[in-house]
Amino acid sequence: MSTKTPYEKYGGFSTVSRIVMRLYDKLLDDDDVGPFFDDVDMPSLIDHQTKFVSSLMGGPASFSDTHIANAHKGMAIYDAHFDRLKELIQETLDEFSVDQADTDIVLGAFEARRGLLVIR
Amino acid sequence: MSIAAINEQLLRAIGVGVALVDIRTGSIRYANDTFGEWFGPMEGGEKLPELIAGPGIFEAVKTLDTADTFTTEVSFKRRRRSMTVAIEGNRALDQAEDLAVLVCQNISRIKELESMIDSYAMMVERNTHEIRREKEHVEKLLLNMMPRTAYEEYKSFGVVAPRLFSDVTVLTLSFSNFETIVAEHDPAVIVSELNDVYTAFDRIGEQFGCERVRTTGDSYFAVSGVPDPVLDHAGSVANAALRFLRYIEQRNTSHPISWVATIGVASGTVIGSVVGVQKYIYDVFGPAVSAADLVRASARDMQAVVHPSTAGQLDERFAVEASGASEGYGILHEVGTVSDAAR
Repeated sequence: MSTKTPYEKYGGFSTVSRIVMRLYDKLLDDDDVGPFFDDVDMPSLIDHQTKFVSSLMGGPASFSDTHIANAHKGMAIYDAHFDRLKELIQETLDEFSVDQADTDIVLGAFEARRGLLVIR
Repeated sequence: MSIAAINEQLLRAIGVGVALVDIRTGSIRYANDTFGEWFGPMEGGEKLPELIAGPGIFEAVKTLDTADTFTTEVSFKRRRRSMTVAIEGNRALDQAEDLAVLVCQNISRIKELESMIDSYAMMVERNTHEIRREKEHVEKLLLNMMPRTAYEEYKSFGVVAPRLFSDVTVLTLSFSNFETIVAEHDPAVIVSELNDVYTAFDRIGEQFGCERVRTTGDSYFAVSGVPDPVLDHAGSVANAALRFLRYIEQRNTSHPISWVATIGVASGTVIGSVVGVQKYIYDVFGPAVSAADLVRASARDMQAVVHPSTAGQLDERFAVEASGASEGYGILHEVGTVSDAAR
């Protein structure tokens, strides 16, 4: 039997869309990670966030690792930024009453790609 | 508190930006707090074009000289967030002065949601495309395993009801030297050879209106009249049988492996159905199939032997030579090539 992805479990796109908007607000308001989006236009940023949350939750369209690496090329992303983003994801999912076990899956998937984003 | 004071309080507090602008000079006469929040604090004397750098906002206001109303949108960044404000301008009712009332609504969220829906719709479209491609792939595989009519039935009802076909002709072919070939050659070579031979059989069969049902290693089994009726099914199979043999003969002259085949042909009734639940296959079985197997057993190398059930239906293009193996069994020839085939 196939197990449900968090995407299916929490109501598909109708919930994901709210999570996307919440995370979007948090990212832009955050003084640590916000500046990365200073010069990104809104449609690209939303597109990025939609795909990002959807694929982290196990929904449609996943990024390939190459795509992720290319999208963040040349950005001065350090471990502290990555950790901060993880905190924001945790906070957002908490607000939507996502079980910690599912949040851990999401954060695990995110953590697995740390090497693609963070400058060593 | 006077009514006027209450009105002003309300105007200040609402989430809609409101401003009064002089149509001729662009000077802002009044702006509520929300307007100030979006376009900068009002200290008096501000001019509209200095506040809003949107495309031609002041030009739009000026049209109120003749028109009653206008609508426009302006986008700008406020602390790294893209904001879009929809502005509706109306001429003030006060005829004494040329004033415009600007009513501004923050539609950033709507724009953000629109972008998100676009993004999501694209993902869904791509997924749908992928699913469709997968579906076509599966359909192609299933059509290799069963006739289209059976597949359509399977798709609609999840099962294929067994059907009786009373007027069909069956061909079974077997390689009499298969064991020797298997012992002497590399499996990959054998498979590749069989692939070649069976593909050629499929093509020949298709040309004459008979379809492969299955192959099992050294045997090839085809039928004419299932699932769609074929008028001259006996002739179709007889033609295919003779061309199978001719193809093998010709192929043997130029390939390292020499194949030796025997063919049985019989007509009559068969049942066609999908058999199996998990590992299903479209199968054809019944009296005509058993008869074809039976006559094939009496065939000598590179002979096609026909059962009386078929022999009786063949026209003058074919000659049937008594085989002597059993009453009524006949070796199939094409008229004009009897001596060739009888070698």
